[in-house]
Amino acid sequence: MRARTHGLMTRKYSDDLRLFGSTNAKLGLLAILLLYAFVPVFVQSAFWLSVLDYAGIAAVGALGLNLLTGYTGQVSLGHAFFIGIGAYAAAKLGGPDDVGLPLPLWLLGATLMGAFVGALIGPFALRLRGNYLAIVTLGLVFLGEHVFRNAKEITGGNSGTSVQTASTLLGADFKDLQFLGQNFSFNQGYFWLIWGIVGIAALLCKNLVRTRPGRAMQAVRDRDVAAEVIGVQLGRYKVGAFAMSSGLAALAGALLGSYQQFVTPEQFNLFLSIQYIAIIIVGGVGTIFGSILGALVLGGLPGLIDQYSASIPGVTTGSGDSGFISVFSLNQAIFGLLIVLFLVFEPRGLAALWLRVKAYFKAWPFSY
Amino acid sequence: MTETVSPDATDAPAAEQKALLEVSGVVLRFGGVTALDGVDFDVRRGELFAVIGPNGAGKTSIFNCLNGVYTPQEGSITLDGTDLLKKAPAQIAGLGVARTFQNLGLFENLTVVDNLMLGRHTKMRTGFLAGMAWWGRAKREEIEHREAVERVIELLELEPYRGQPAGKLPYGVQKRLELGRAIAMEPKLLLLDEPVAGMHLEESQDMARYILDVRDRLDLAMILVEHQMALVMDLADRVMAMDFGVPITVGTPEHVQNDQRVIDAYLGAG
Ligand SMILES: Nc1ncnc2c1ncn2[C@@H]1O[C@H](COP(=O)(O)OP(=O)(O)O)[C@@H](O)[C@H]1O
Ligand SMILES: [Mg+2]
Repeated sequence: MRARTHGLMTRKYSDDLRLFGSTNAKLGLLAILLLYAFVPVFVQSAFWLSVLDYAGIAAVGALGLNLLTGYTGQVSLGHAFFIGIGAYAAAKLGGPDDVGLPLPLWLLGATLMGAFVGALIGPFALRLRGNYLAIVTLGLVFLGEHVFRNAKEITGGNSGTSVQTASTLLGADFKDLQFLGQNFSFNQGYFWLIWGIVGIAALLCKNLVRTRPGRAMQAVRDRDVAAEVIGVQLGRYKVGAFAMSSGLAALAGALLGSYQQFVTPEQFNLFLSIQYIAIIIVGGVGTIFGSILGALVLGGLPGLIDQYSASIPGVTTGSGDSGFISVFSLNQAIFGLLIVLFLVFEPRGLAALWLRVKAYFKAWPFSY
Repeated sequence: MTETVSPDATDAPAAEQKALLEVSGVVLRFGGVTALDGVDFDVRRGELFAVIGPNGAGKTSIFNCLNGVYTPQEGSITLDGTDLLKKAPAQIAGLGVARTFQNLGLFENLTVVDNLMLGRHTKMRTGFLAGMAWWGRAKREEIEHREAVERVIELLELEPYRGQPAGKLPYGVQKRLELGRAIAMEPKLLLLDEPVAGMHLEESQDMARYILDVRDRLDLAMILVEHQMALVMDLADRVMAMDFGVPITVGTPEHVQNDQRVIDAYLGAG
């Protein structure tokens, strides 16, 4: 075998197609796996683990939104609606007093439920292009919130519903893990559960976007007339992307419900949809990696702001406190500001910044 | 119209063979504008058929009717006996009609290889779930069609650009890549809309050479739309000249070049 300088050379197409082909990519994968295994062991603070758990849930939903918006070019404000569907589906499917499915099945069931509703709505919503789609999906969020408030049988109405889901996989209960004589907390166990699912979802999405269906989606995004003329059926790929996006949103919702063990209708409002848009814009529109990066940066932000609001000057933390902005408004303002700043200064997001840094080090020490 | 006799009508074997594409009586209107007003022509297998005419003559509109982007109000279009008017653009692509656009129709954020792989779309089968899982066929198909794409890269000398985003390439290379994406489809009929528009002389000559290469190596018929006459006169087997949505004459390049009405149309436009 000849030496492989830098691991950048490939000699077969199958080498070209390997996800973790180069030495650097293999090292990166190893680093990620080590982080996955050991972060919960070393980060023992319940608060910081919860920030990471929320970030992981957001990453799953952001992967979905990125498939639709980033890869297929269809802007949707309806993500919160599908996250809600997933949360309530988990409550029903996973609850021991209801259907009582085991862990993998209520997750899968919630995902399929979201994908199914997405596939039903998709053909109507996707007749419209660009801004009209945004407006229709905006309507979906309001409609959804209304339904969630009023379908008391399923959602518990305004006061919400508890989400008690089975959390055991192969004998290990993520709520109360025991391993090598150690006991792990709920937050530690859920870190492994949530980020394990992030890993699987990211891998599936990565495969999708580098094969025929994912290329077709990107063709639709870049130039729909040309896509049609080379044989891409626009409807099929738009609706498909919408269904997958809704499915992943529902998966995120199911995890959210299960993690919080309780959900209320106002969680699934427009602001949640906007948070997801902020995540993919900050992380990188049209990149798998960016969805996760954005979620890491922003997914835990509401929790952080809440935690530290007392020490941020001017923030009202309770009644009788003389601040000029509430925690909720501060959240909105920060997400809004981040969207604007990134769109203006780095529209391709943190993932693009990261690629530039990586490109720089690839050529290192020849920094021309 | 009695004078527009095909000059090789005496060429018995060619006349006997049924044409690949038959267009007859096509009328296309946009509100008050009549873009095509009774267009008839046919294209034979292996032929390089050119359509010339001043700007606004309706050349691009013909292509848009052929691949289903527009539906003409009257007339018929058949490919190998199949009625194209009832088909959607994506189906027509599957029947073997490929096209390039006058103002480029590349997927700008995708790499050269991905653009070319998209040319293989109708030849591949992988769906959403198989793609996600990277299972058996998905992977096999990727490798197999990557090889087909590599042959196109070689034919059009696109080697230096494989991994680059299409939108960042020089204009001439983008035009060539678009030709590549079209031939990656292995079409029966290739439609080229002003492939040298906006190019300087040297680039135009290169493009003409690539078009001839494609013609020699692949078994397909081509319709070449051009606004300028020079390229057409060198390459085409037959030429149709149009003005105001109506064909003026069809024949060999020499025949068309010397037709007084064609000269008038160009002088009138120029
Ligand atoms: N989508 C459209 N809507 C309205 N008019 C159009 C459209 N496409 C083409 N036309 C009109 O049809 C005529 C022929 O245009 P076109 O086929 O583009 O000409 P050419 O390609 O020969 O320059 C022009 O008058 C043009 O304005
Ligand atoms: Mg034109």
